[in-house]
Amino acid sequence: MAGRRVLITGVSTHLGAQAALRLEQDPEIEHLIGVDSAPPTAPLQRMEFIEADIREPEMLSILPESRVDMVIHNNILRRPRQGMSPQAAHDINVIGTLQLLTACERAETIKAIVVRGSAGIYGAEPSAPQFFTEEMARLYASRTRFQRDVSEIEAYFENYARRRPDVICTMLRYQPAIGTVLNTQVTRYLAMPVLPTFLGFDPRLQFVHQHDGLEALVAAVKNPVRGAVNVASAGTIGLTRMVRLARKPSLPLPSGLFGSVVDVGRRVGLESLSDDFRRLLRYGRAVDLRRLTEEVGYRPRYTTTSALVEYLSMVRGELAPMHETAA
Amino acid sequence: MNSPRQTRVQDLPLTAAIAFMRRFRGALESGVELPIALSTAAAGLPRSSRAKVERAVERLGGDYEEDEWGFDEEFTEAAFPFFEFMYDRWWRTRAKGVNNVPGHGRALLVANHAGVVPWDATMIGVALLRNHPLPRYPRFLVLNWAFELPYASVLLRKVGGVPASQHNARHLLEEDQLVAVFPEGVKGAGKDYSQRYRLQRFGRGGYVELAIATGAPLVPVAVVGSEEIYPKLGENRLLARLSGAPYFPLTPLFPWLGPLGAVPLPSKWRIEFCEAIPTAHYGPDRANDQRLVLELSERVQETIQQKLYENLVERGSAFV
Repeated sequence: MAGRRVLITGVSTHLGAQAALRLEQDPEIEHLIGVDSAPPTAPLQRMEFIEADIREPEMLSILPESRVDMVIHNNILRRPRQGMSPQAAHDINVIGTLQLLTACERAETIKAIVVRGSAGIYGAEPSAPQFFTEEMARLYASRTRFQRDVSEIEAYFENYARRRPDVICTMLRYQPAIGTVLNTQVTRYLAMPVLPTFLGFDPRLQFVHQHDGLEALVAAVKNPVRGAVNVASAGTIGLTRMVRLARKPSLPLPSGLFGSVVDVGRRVGLESLSDDFRRLLRYGRAVDLRRLTEEVGYRPRYTTTSALVEYLSMVRGELAPMHETAA
Repeated sequence: MNSPRQTRVQDLPLTAAIAFMRRFRGALESGVELPIALSTAAAGLPRSSRAKVERAVERLGGDYEEDEWGFDEEFTEAAFPFFEFMYDRWWRTRAKGVNNVPGHGRALLVANHAGVVPWDATMIGVALLRNHPLPRYPRFLVLNWAFELPYASVLLRKVGGVPASQHNARHLLEEDQLVAVFPEGVKGAGKDYSQRYRLQRFGRGGYVELAIATGAPLVPVAVVGSEEIYPKLGENRLLARLSGAPYFPLTPLFPWLGPLGAVPLPSKWRIEFCEAIPTAHYGPDRANDQRLVLELSERVQETIQQKLYENLVERGSAFV
């Protein structure tokens, strides 16, 4: 596919900008368009930036006119940004996706869509499979707002894929990310002075290192496959072990008190924890990576443990930034 | 005259403990962190306990391994003397036919089940580790409900428990693990004392489908003794609903004695591993063959039931 034309949304996010930098270097890609509501800070040269809010109907004209053959949807928020209401985040996620898909519907040239979705769709359950494979998406009822949003987004894409069988839709399901340049639920949790945990629970957690997160996206752009694909660094880590590696005191709370204590903490200026993350801290979640390695062809370079160890030592300043350890 | 007595006193464990506490406090007061203080204090201990304390300190620092299922081999090994005590002294267990369990590759152990606490699974594990020429830790499937409980969920996972589901069992077998299942499930765990050793229906034979699909041999296991440790005389629906448990047992000790009621009675145990039933020659496609599945399930159930009766007769009295 020489002379590809690619459009990427959410290009001003860290991962969006990194992906754009990588795609700029790809000689196969003739034209790269980035869309976001604020211009990216990364030194992008070839990319054409279009300032637009994906919730607005502007996309309806931008997309068909740009005559792209691939859309990368990287504008699904894991949590509301600073000063953003949960309702606005929901709008960006669900309404934004819907607008984007409507625009894709009108663009005849599109051959593939790659979405950076979330493994939050699986939820976190005590009786959950130890490794969710891609077809286990709706085993349990949605328990949090974000889980419902992700589930809705995926339903839109499934619908679209059914109506347009000629378009390949790849839904990447990301586990929570970890990395020094990132600001995610996990990194903010680890930055808390005291780590609240559920008394008597030691869930298995799984993260994706920023490097694996980026490379998996790039691999999926090169080789889009139909349907959902889990994205994470290999293996899991127990919460207790993570807390000990972080050398932080933990605050085990009985499950009945957890919510109120964490809410009080938020009021005195500590980090707030999303409903999804609270469930993760209690029951954990891990996903199966066979589809990512075998079909997309990307093998994670990190394990969850090595990603965490590297992150922690960088934060402590024991390891120079950008030093990369192989898993 | 004084000096020989002094050395004798120093050998006492109590003095060692006091010295340990003293050094520990001294170190803490001088302002070092807890793990370092612990290891400083441990320097004064006899060598054998010093190694243990040092290891514990390393674990406190997060330096331990859990596999991706949460199984912690080191923890299990540390708990092993306790399980061995239960096996040898408490239950006076005898195991037969351990060589029927394949030394490597996937296999599915199928056993009878009683009681909510999976003692039977751990004892099957001890029997294998002690008597098998190629010992390995079995993984066992536990009622999902147990994983909602604080502490229980952690402990179960650390010693090899996995929430019971087709997905998990299949994944484990595909990793060539040894997996123990209790197809009686809640029906088995919740049966009355008068019903002991009468196998309940083995579900719909899901475990056989699994064995055929993955080509794992089925090893029927009869456990005698486990069904007397918590003699269930009745149950309480209201308490079950309140605690979210599948049933709430009333035994002579539980819940009257509180947590002490969870101490299992010292019955005599017999564990027999029966001849393995190979399934690889059927091919994975026949996993949907209901007739074959039920036939095999029946065969497994009959084998276990027969061996249960044989071992009950052989064992004689339950407690002495």
